[in-house]
Amino acid sequence: MAVAPTRSRKSARRQKLEAAVNYPLDWLEERSGLIGGVRYFLFRKVPGDINWFHTLGSATLTAFLVQALTGAILAMYYKPDPATAYQSINHITNDLTLGWLVRGMHKWGASVFIILMFFHMARVFLFGAYKYPRELNWIVGVMLLAVGMLEGFTGYLLPWDQTAYWATVVGINLNGTAPILGPFLADFLRGGSEIGGDTLSRFYSMHMLLIPGLIFALIGLHLYLVVRLGVSSPPWSDEAAGGGSQAPAPSTNGRTGLTQPRARGR
Amino acid sequence: MSSLDERRAQFQQYKEDVKNRGKPFYPYGMFHDTVMSLVVVSVIIALASVWYFTSSSDPNACGSGHSCLLGPRYSEPADPGTTNFVPRPDWYFYFLFYLLRIFKWPNSVILGTVGIPTILLIILIMLPFLDVRRERRLLRRPVAVIAAVLVVISMGVLTYKGATAKEALASEVVQAVPTWAEREGFKDNKDAVAGATVFASSGCTACHTYLGTGSSNLGAPDLSSIGKGGLGVQGFATYVADPSKAGNNVMPKFAALGDQKLHQLGEFLNASKGPK
Repeated sequence: MAVAPTRSRKSARRQKLEAAVNYPLDWLEERSGLIGGVRYFLFRKVPGDINWFHTLGSATLTAFLVQALTGAILAMYYKPDPATAYQSINHITNDLTLGWLVRGMHKWGASVFIILMFFHMARVFLFGAYKYPRELNWIVGVMLLAVGMLEGFTGYLLPWDQTAYWATVVGINLNGTAPILGPFLADFLRGGSEIGGDTLSRFYSMHMLLIPGLIFALIGLHLYLVVRLGVSSPPWSDEAAGGGSQAPAPSTNGRTGLTQPRARGR
Repeated sequence: MSSLDERRAQFQQYKEDVKNRGKPFYPYGMFHDTVMSLVVVSVIIALASVWYFTSSSDPNACGSGHSCLLGPRYSEPADPGTTNFVPRPDWYFYFLFYLLRIFKWPNSVILGTVGIPTILLIILIMLPFLDVRRERRLLRRPVAVIAAVLVVISMGVLTYKGATAKEALASEVVQAVPTWAEREGFKDNKDAVAGATVFASSGCTACHTYLGTGSSNLGAPDLSSIGKGGLGVQGFATYVADPSKAGNNVMPKFAALGDQKLHQLGEFLNASKGPK
């Protein structure tokens, strides 16, 4: 899409300036469609009566991004080895410039992230926003909750202090009580029969590579579904949200554009 | 018209309503989201600041000079050799932690560790298929509202109980040893009395109870009359050294105590045949 020639009375200088600004955007749009995608995301319509309850999801996302950022900084200084882990945590907290802030934000951000996930889930539940056609997004959300708590569990060991060590000993042993798979799962988590260096580096890898990767992917899917299906309006809304008795529009013929339900006969 | 068709029509109606009467996400939704995100980041920074400025680099300074409102910066370095540290998960696992006080090893502990969490997760995932009504207004969803209230109350109570669960202090438990010896009738057995002291000071009472002392955690049973089971002195010593060999994967290994103390523990447990 080239810059549309304007018939306005803009000066030649102004027109040149706009062309210069638009050129890289047009270049990118022509080759990727990304500008159109961002524009679609930003200017998509949402129900007119969305309110503060609807911000809990993006608040959760913000908390997760805080975790990703502070976690990346912590990883620059943290040493996942039983001999040095505790010392490196001590160093980050007490010696590094603003190290306490980064670690403090990561430590407390985890709790805020978990709380916000529960609040967001409560909002979706009370608004009935998990109902058709958003069932799949609810399931993705439950998976995010489970994986998020797993992220908390694996991160708890990393300071390698008494609290961390013994909570993990017990946590892994509890996993081990599961029938059939339990002992294998416990051995996998420990990386052997005892908690030691292998356990720590294993938890570190899960905590900063495997699980965050999974969380990013699930969040991507979650947001894709939100944009595709639209933000649900509050249950008290008159915008066809309450399941009220409005007669369904006959013009739809039962099709949603999402599926082709009538294709198989009838 | 089938209910699925009704739902499809309703969603179609929603899409048209939003198209005609909705607002663009930017700036309306974006504004609320941005304000909320700033609040979230501020709260995180505030928590981190309170945590840092009320604690000190010494984990033992809490209480003396430092209030540690939000806990210490870290506890002592991990030491697999200690046995008297009370294991405690992060707060969002407290409800599971406390749930394990209700179920006892070995018969029903699996319900608390795996059974109930798995069932909860399955119910949560299945929710959209359990509740397929179109109705979304709260007043017309009494079952959903009552279920939500019950879940919030039970999670809240379990978390609170888990947070305030009292921990048995080794120094206090040791004082109960003479009483135990008297009531269980093993005060003439020197090894058993020594074993009782080992029991009281090695953190066993963090999970086990004995004649009302200690805190019941993680499904560990009361041991006041464990000697009736007939494991024998050596049997108990072997069990405590490595419970996983007997199929108990919850209890930690106590082989680090050494043969003498394990033998004394065995004498003590074997002599514990219930209060007389």
